[in-house]
Amino acid sequence: MSSRLWTLGAILVFSSVCLAQGRGRIMAGDPANANKPYDKHDLSGTWTRNGTPGGYGGGGTCANCGDRGFSNDVPPFTPLGQKMFDANKPSYGRNLGSPEANAHPEEHIGRRRAVPPANGTDPYQTCNPEGVTRALIYPDPVEFNVLPDKIMQQFEWTYVTRTIWTDGRKLPDDPDQLRWWGYSTAHWEGDTLVVNSNGFDDRTWVDHFGYPHSTDMKLEERYHRTAYDVLELTMTITDPKVYTKPWTSQLKRFRLLPKNGIKTVDGWTGLMEDLCAPADEVESFNKRVRDPAGGVIH
Amino acid sequence: MKTKLVNLLALAAALLMIGSAVFAHHGTGVSYDQTKAFTVKATVTEFRYANPHPQLFFDVKDDKGQVVHWSGEIAPNPAQLVQEGWGRKRSEAALAAGTEVEITLAPSRLGTPVGVINKIVSAQGESILGLTPLGNAAAEGGKK
Repeated sequence: MSSRLWTLGAILVFSSVCLAQGRGRIMAGDPANANKPYDKHDLSGTWTRNGTPGGYGGGGTCANCGDRGFSNDVPPFTPLGQKMFDANKPSYGRNLGSPEANAHPEEHIGRRRAVPPANGTDPYQTCNPEGVTRALIYPDPVEFNVLPDKIMQQFEWTYVTRTIWTDGRKLPDDPDQLRWWGYSTAHWEGDTLVVNSNGFDDRTWVDHFGYPHSTDMKLEERYHRTAYDVLELTMTITDPKVYTKPWTSQLKRFRLLPKNGIKTVDGWTGLMEDLCAPADEVESFNKRVRDPAGGVIH
Repeated sequence: MKTKLVNLLALAAALLMIGSAVFAHHGTGVSYDQTKAFTVKATVTEFRYANPHPQLFFDVKDDKGQVVHWSGEIAPNPAQLVQEGWGRKRSEAALAAGTEVEITLAPSRLGTPVGVINKIVSAQGESILGLTPLGNAAAEGGKK
């Protein structure tokens, strides 16, 4: 009997830890890495904000890694920004009109208006690119490959590569072609890597709660490696067409994965090829499962 | 007395676990109602190990003995399942058409015979596809 009590006590403690994780409790990196030397100017490696053991899965983020939104502290919209925000129908967050949504007025309305994907407008539901901010917030791993003239960020989810140039070039003032992933350059300010980007296609969302941006959005990312296995990121969006003042993100924290941290049943290590493809299989899923679940019968 | 204490602790633990899962995912399944999850005996008719989510189609006999065809969404996608030991070959073998299984699923909020699958158990009692609760990721309201 006493062993059962101990087991249940352990479950209670574990549950409390889970709750604390959701509230963003402060936690250091793995204590085993505490004394490992590292170069603050070397961000290479595979990083993750995911809380599951393998660093994958797309669910909640790890303790104190930040939540899955850009920030709950949203600046007032401009009239155009409000119109763009209202047009977006996300499928994440608390269900629109639900008791849970009504019970959390402290959360911005963007986090309390989810509708079934069958009735939503999330560009990701049709496998369009996530864009920089959303990809960085998504809790699947991202690999930084540092080269002499650029840093390549490879995201596991959608298996896409983004290029950040470090060769001293300047961003284009008015790029002829807008890009889903924008144009990016970076430089060091002390121990902080500062990445500046512009030229974004406005069909991406800032995060999965449907916050919009315009093609004029300028994005600054500030990366700071604070331990061997901890990388911190803060982002700031400046987009006066949509937001009345710059919008700074919640602190996002990544953990470094060991080289064999992601492994298939065959023992193959490295990022998974996690694609929203092929199109016909995605369409089949939508027609046979996703849409009927939302009341849309084909 | 001890039994009552154990039951009380178990209830508290269960409530905390449910609360933490909902909080961690910052919301509940948009299309599915986890509060109405149920378990049924089912016969697999088709299994698709595919993106963006694997899908399981199966027949269930209702209260009147009529066969109802269900569609089930499995939240972890192949990239996640293969890391948890459930590669394509093993998964497709375990869920071949005609296989009898026990399925726990949360149904569509709109009453259509579609659900997100929380658990699949074989006739031999093996948990199929699942080291983690299958329905958790779908609580995010879409792929993962």
